Amino acid sequence: MAELTHTDAVFTPKPSQPPPPNTVGVVGWLRKNLFGGPFDSVMTIIGAGLLAYFAYGLFQYTIVNAVWEADSYRECLDVTQGAGACWAGVDKWMNNYLYGRYPDAEQWRVNLGGIILAVWLAPFWFEKVTQKIAVGVSAVLTYPFLAGALFLGGDNGLFMQAMSSVALTLFAAVWLNVAACYSGRRSLGAVLVQVTGFAGKDDRLYKWVYLAAFAVGFVVAFIFQSTWNLAPVQTTNWGGLFLTLVISGIGISTALPSGVILALGRRSKMPVIRVFCTAFIELFRSVPLITILFMAVTMMPLFLPVTLNPDKLVLVIVAVCIFAAAYMAEIVRGGLQAINTGQYEAARAVGLNYWKMMTLIVMPQALKLMIPNIVGNFIGLLKDTTLVSIIGLYDILLMVRASGQDPKWLGMHTEPMLFAAFVFFVICFAMSKYSQHLERTIGGGYGRR
Amino acid sequence: MKKVSLFGLGAGLLAALTFTAEPASAQQSTLDIVKSRGHLRCQLGTPAPGWYMLSDTGKWSGFDYENCRAVSAAIFGDPDKIEVQSVTSAVRFTAMANGESDMLSRTTTWTLFRETQLGLDFTTVSFYDGQGFMVLKDAGIKSALELKGATVCVATGTTTELNLTDYSRTNGLDIKPVVFEDSNVRDNTFFTGGCDAITNDKSSLASTRAKAPDVSIFKILPETISKEPLGPVVRQNDSQWKDIVQWSVYTMIAAEEYGMSSTNVDKVLAETTNPEIKRMLGAEGDLNKGLGLEPKWAYNIIKMVGNYGENYEEFMGEKTVMNIPRDGSPNALWTKGGLLYSPPFR
Amino acid sequence: MAVLEKGSPHRASRSLSEWLHDERVRSVLYQAIVAIVVIAVARYLFINTSENLQARGMSAGFDFLSTGAGFSIAWSVLPYTAGDSYFHVYLVGIGNTLMVAFVAIICTTLLGFLVGIMRLSKNWLIAQVASWYVEILRNTPLLLQILFWFLAVFSLLPRPNKSLSLLDLFYLNNRGLYIPAPVPGDGFNITLIAVLVAVGATYAQAVWARKRHFDTGQRFPAFWTGLGILFGLPLLVFLVTGAPLTFDYPALKGFNFLGGASVPPAFCALLLALVIYHSAYMAEAVRAGIMSVSHGQTEAAYSLGLRPGMTLRLVIIPQAMRAVVPPMISNWMNVVKNSSLAIAIGYPDLVAVYMQTSLNQSGHAIEIVAMVMLFYMSVSLSISMALNYYNKIVQLKER
Repeated sequence: MAELTHTDAVFTPKPSQPPPPNTVGVVGWLRKNLFGGPFDSVMTIIGAGLLAYFAYGLFQYTIVNAVWEADSYRECLDVTQGAGACWAGVDKWMNNYLYGRYPDAEQWRVNLGGIILAVWLAPFWFEKVTQKIAVGVSAVLTYPFLAGALFLGGDNGLFMQAMSSVALTLFAAVWLNVAACYSGRRSLGAVLVQVTGFAGKDDRLYKWVYLAAFAVGFVVAFIFQSTWNLAPVQTTNWGGLFLTLVISGIGISTALPSGVILALGRRSKMPVIRVFCTAFIELFRSVPLITILFMAVTMMPLFLPVTLNPDKLVLVIVAVCIFAAAYMAEIVRGGLQAINTGQYEAARAVGLNYWKMMTLIVMPQALKLMIPNIVGNFIGLLKDTTLVSIIGLYDILLMVRASGQDPKWLGMHTEPMLFAAFVFFVICFAMSKYSQHLERTIGGGYGRR
Repeated sequence: MKKVSLFGLGAGLLAALTFTAEPASAQQSTLDIVKSRGHLRCQLGTPAPGWYMLSDTGKWSGFDYENCRAVSAAIFGDPDKIEVQSVTSAVRFTAMANGESDMLSRTTTWTLFRETQLGLDFTTVSFYDGQGFMVLKDAGIKSALELKGATVCVATGTTTELNLTDYSRTNGLDIKPVVFEDSNVRDNTFFTGGCDAITNDKSSLASTRAKAPDVSIFKILPETISKEPLGPVVRQNDSQWKDIVQWSVYTMIAAEEYGMSSTNVDKVLAETTNPEIKRMLGAEGDLNKGLGLEPKWAYNIIKMVGNYGENYEEFMGEKTVMNIPRDGSPNALWTKGGLLYSPPFR
Repeated sequence: MAVLEKGSPHRASRSLSEWLHDERVRSVLYQAIVAIVVIAVARYLFINTSENLQARGMSAGFDFLSTGAGFSIAWSVLPYTAGDSYFHVYLVGIGNTLMVAFVAIICTTLLGFLVGIMRLSKNWLIAQVASWYVEILRNTPLLLQILFWFLAVFSLLPRPNKSLSLLDLFYLNNRGLYIPAPVPGDGFNITLIAVLVAVGATYAQAVWARKRHFDTGQRFPAFWTGLGILFGLPLLVFLVTGAPLTFDYPALKGFNFLGGASVPPAFCALLLALVIYHSAYMAEAVRAGIMSVSHGQTEAAYSLGLRPGMTLRLVIIPQAMRAVVPPMISNWMNVVKNSSLAIAIGYPDLVAVYMQTSLNQSGHAIEIVAMVMLFYMSVSLSISMALNYYNKIVQLKER
């Protein structure tokens, strides 16, 4: 290398000049984003000032001046003179906020129910698992029965027993399927066929294999669940966040299917069906939820025979479901309208009938378009569930208000309400962030935007 | 098939839940229904100090709740076989008329309209109350008649609301009511000065005052502007059930009159020579037959729930937040100049 | 060319299964089944209801509407005194509901636009503040927010004798907001007529200016002229007729302010809660609308030589509005419906005075709930009819 001394033709690039100091780093970022001009600067200063003021006040109230240990609200007041939160009372009432008056000794059932649902739906997020639709449908269709049996306890009759056995069987099937998929097979069905030695034989025999396997599972599950001996817990003892989630959960899971049916009905060519669906949707969409709830608790019992004597919770759930379905129907209709007519025509042209066209071609596209609206609707439903407190169901909001009437904690209402607001915010915010994530991952491929 | 299964989803669960609730036949008497169900459905209001309170352990207690416990003790020999239905005041009567609740015991005023037009029967009076006003001490008001043009906080769906209007019209006061559904909100509005006065049954005013950050600055005005006889309510057209509830309350009143309490009832039963007490406690005669209850029903009430005085002391007495003096009030026994009077057990 | 019809028209007689597979027959069959089921259910419910009513000794019917309601209402737009009929209570409730909903809709729309534009601001802090504003408000229940505004803000205002005042004309205290009330004098009607005339003239002027612009391409300052007519003419007439308008000023007498016009704190709290809650939704609609206009539109407008202001006014906003208006109007519907939560803080809206108090005092559940639902339905349906009409106007005229 030493010979290379002559200096011709060697290009040595000069390093480029650094950008002006006020466009990079912290200063540059500040200039660009906060102090872009005189107006911007003023806005920034005002905004920062207001923000600091509120943050400081909130910090003082909730943390600095707060009381964490006390036996009554009066004790708290003596310490804080009202300048700080009394978290001691919230802590004492926490169990009521979460479970209502569900007996302490039985609360594991509520927790177990929640865990089962989470475990049931977990395979959705496993990459290798096939037949995710079946996972979702099985959970939505049968989980409520299992949960109902678990939460209610006692003897609920043969129908509930059978349905919760079906649920247990399907739950097991979902996880066997996961195991099958992760051991390199295609699905649980493939494993079953292989094990029983029907592989390679007539395809039509397969469904009998599945059915037999299901029957075996069902019998086992039925025997298993008949050994349960759960103490009955009346629905009047359900409450708190648990009740909020039960009501909104049932509302959410029924909203989509019934909303789809109603929307299809409204777009149907059959005038009678169209008129009924339209009337139903418009009726329940145009009145406030509170009037529907009032109708449910004051008028429904008049409409039904005395012998039926329905539970108030059931009436409220029916009302919430009807309300949610009507809203969802309009969202689904919007999604259907966004699908190009060409898609319908193409589906018809390849010879699909109405239901196949809808389920295979139109709905999958429409549902993807509707994700943000659907999740928005779910969030709205969860928030609207708080209205049941006005008609006297002990959801988290009414529990929160009841705690301020406890002689020991008389007058405590700001703290529990902050707590409830925080709980709702966490749940709803997580849902909306997840929906945005879904929108990016699923909806991305379909050329909108 | 798809359609069917999708509909089944919604309908199935709800139907299942609905039919798990045991059917109540129209012909069956309330007593039979309650017995076969195994517990009493007792309607209370949303928590209010003294009357029906929910604790942080999820247990109910309170003066009105004791009426339900007495009925449960009379029927089952166990005061806690109760399903509490805590209902907002706006839907209380519909919940009753619907057959949702077996009895209602929640500071409900006995009026002609309610008894005749809402499908209800009032049983008896367990607390004599009257509506009054509470104001700030430093407002310098001595009488309710000085409340001209004042803003007054009041609860919705109650007789209180109507009484206030009547009083205002009678005396030309032009009072402006501010109506609240939630008593917490109402009380807080009053404390922060959103109303010049608050009106309610005087017993409830006491509990409102107990909630205030500073108890000493409020004053209850002397006027009682209405009669508020409060007591348990049952559905119309079931006289046996009405009798059971009615006499459960009478048992507690009579027990106090005869000097029986939860602590000494065994001793009294063993030693007494009074035939009325013997009949009452089921040691003689068959007074229980007509009610369709066990002979020891009244004994159970006294033993397990206590007499009227005990309950009053526990929930309304001087050691509680309510602190309503009983002596000289209508809620003293008739032997002490009050209005509490039980018909004879004969 | 032979017309092919479904269900092979060639054969005269068809088997039952063929007949059943005919789409037209099936359609009729399905509809008949649905109709029969719905009618049967309705009949079943009706029979139950009448039996239940009879069994409970409750009466049904609208007779109670003419009987007097024995309670007073704290604040109402329409005049009301205790003892007026239940039907009057219904109207008073509607008046109060419409009042709060109307004001809330106007404020929501303005605030929503402001926040929506703030979210698109280049200023990082402003955009962040706006986006957290939206997130927090959209993710907590409205009922909680209403209680918060009422308990934590309006209850903490000073008492009447320590009111906050502005120029001694406007007073704010924990009983409400007091403003001077105009009292029209003798000749005030002439001014009102002048207002009507001015509105007509402004409209005519706008139509003429537009036509001239289309025909000749010449612009006419229609907006400013219109504004001039709208305010100038009534003012002129008002002054000429001798300013026949006096004001009734609020003054502290006894417990409360008397005179002037006032709104109760519950109104303010409800209004604020509705406005702030729905403005978050409105902001999202506005943001999405503006984002939906592709950047190419701006570039195309610039390349045609339009200035930024004109681009915004003539190109971006008209297209954004097409996406903004439908969610905006359904938001308005929600404002009307959500105003029913007034019940939690004691504002006497329709649900509070009619479905709570009146229902409790009269016991006519079915009639009252039906009437309340009827009101909300007619409001919603008229709003959605307006929306459909708008959609028809702004729909893209496709080739």
